[in-house]
Amino acid sequence: MNTIKKALEEKKNGLYYGNRIILPFNCTLLKLIYQSEIIYDFSHCSSEVIVSEGENFTDIYMKRHKYLKDDISKYENIKIVTAEKGSDIFDFSNHVKLILTLNDDHRIIIETPTDDQVFID
Amino acid sequence: MKKIIFLFALLFLLLTHTEFGLANSSLASVSDTTSQTLSTAASSHAEKTLPSAFMVIPFVVLLLMIATGPLFYKHFWEHHYPKVAIFLGMITVTYYLVVLKDSHSLIHTLEEYLSFIALLTSLFVASGGILIKIDRKSTPFANVILLLFGALISNLIGTTGASMLLIRPFLRMNRDRINTYHVVFFIFIVSNMGGGLTPIGDPPLFLGFLRGVDFFWVATHVWHIWLIGVLSILIVFYFIDKRNSGKGESVTEYTGKIELRGAKNFIYLLIVIISVFLDPKVLSWVPSLHPLPFGIREIIMFSVAFFSYKFANKEALKGNEFDFDPIKEVAFLFIGIFATMIPALQLIAYETKVYGAQLTADIFYWGTGILSAFLDNAPTYLNFLSAAMGKFGLNIDLYQDVHHFQEQDPIYLMAISVAAVFFGAMTYIGNGPNFMVKSISERAGIEVPSFIGYLVKYAIPILIPIFTIIWLVFFYGRG
Repeated sequence: MNTIKKALEEKKNGLYYGNRIILPFNCTLLKLIYQSEIIYDFSHCSSEVIVSEGENFTDIYMKRHKYLKDDISKYENIKIVTAEKGSDIFDFSNHVKLILTLNDDHRIIIETPTDDQVFID
Repeated sequence: MKKIIFLFALLFLLLTHTEFGLANSSLASVSDTTSQTLSTAASSHAEKTLPSAFMVIPFVVLLLMIATGPLFYKHFWEHHYPKVAIFLGMITVTYYLVVLKDSHSLIHTLEEYLSFIALLTSLFVASGGILIKIDRKSTPFANVILLLFGALISNLIGTTGASMLLIRPFLRMNRDRINTYHVVFFIFIVSNMGGGLTPIGDPPLFLGFLRGVDFFWVATHVWHIWLIGVLSILIVFYFIDKRNSGKGESVTEYTGKIELRGAKNFIYLLIVIISVFLDPKVLSWVPSLHPLPFGIREIIMFSVAFFSYKFANKEALKGNEFDFDPIKEVAFLFIGIFATMIPALQLIAYETKVYGAQLTADIFYWGTGILSAFLDNAPTYLNFLSAAMGKFGLNIDLYQDVHHFQEQDPIYLMAISVAAVFFGAMTYIGNGPNFMVKSISERAGIEVPSFIGYLVKYAIPILIPIFTIIWLVFFYGRG
């Protein structure tokens, strides 16, 4: 199982294909902010987003979009609030805010928010 | 109340007029009764045939879809609004070309559209390349100062530009105790009411300027109403914010610094502001590019948009999460609005000549206001201006008539200007920047009220009492 901490330390990239986002770690996804949508519902019956898990990665399917790259400009991003798999999600200090930026070559740059990016949990 | 009902009846009449002989009646007959006030140019214009009342339908459909699309069929609307706007616009364009054989109205409208979109695009792009960072602890007083500053600069860079520039610093400053009311009051003051002093401030006033209202007319005639309106909202905000200021103890350390990136874009903004006056009708030495449907001013504005984006500070664009979607939406929707609005403007002007005596400043204030709250305030302003001018037999299409109207009966133009700008704050759909601020706040992770929540919890209890006082003090029983 890959952790968020390890992925950030190793500056690992994620991937995207169509409307599928692949994160190089396992996590509990708490909140996803995409353009003007704040999504909490990650259940399998969600009409917006479905989350599934591999051994060393997490898949996020943005169901309302066909190609994410068509909808997100180079200055925009996807914001997520996550927690390490198995950690106490009720402890706010375990929450990790991440900014996902889509590159042209199917790579996703994963960063913690900078001072410029307003990200209020 | 009766007057407001009458106003809606009048609008309804346009759609349901059974005697469609009206459609073919000539404005020439009207000019007989108003010959003293119509200018020579108006008389030649009067030879044109009135459009069919049915031709208001595309305009009504478009406005209703703009109001309901983002709320009830968001997915369809996001993907198809350009097609909808252009299709409805084309119905009107085809009708004018084929049936009325009137290309003059269309060219005039195209010129106005290009001026309008050039201003909005240049302000939007230039201000999108500026990033302000305020690393200070928020206090109710500091918030009031920032909102007041936003209200003032919205008159220089437009409500869209000011909202773009200040919403992120405002959210960042309040991040430890952010609440939905912060976003709502920002929309009230910076995105709407603030821009009530100049034509650059809010799109309806710019449309009035393009039609012939003097640039400084609004500021000189409504500054006192603007001041009372803005200060009243700020006082309410201060007390609500003061109650909330003890909550959310901050662990953040602040440097107190105010940082600016992309400051060179202020030069671009200055160029845009100066170029607003570069119109042959305003300054006679400015060359006209006639028969082209644009002038020097529009070329400068579009150039500013291009260069300010090309040479923008990339970090500022990234920090602002800049993209062209909001301005693209305005550009497409307003193609449809400008085109479909032509018959509505002409018919309203005709009808108000008939019913003019019954139309008072009260009707224009509440009528413009209520419709501006639920439809876009720019076309609403023009329709009511057309109606008010029609009351005196004046024609909104004639520059000199608009000029004459602003001096002859200022109370009507004051009522329409104030209501169009102020009531735009009533809903998310009242004015362009409202949705943009909502969207930026949501992108930052803040939950904002729903359409109904915004209206019921904030707009009606806070704005309506203040707007009513403004009406009683400044417009009740006048005109």
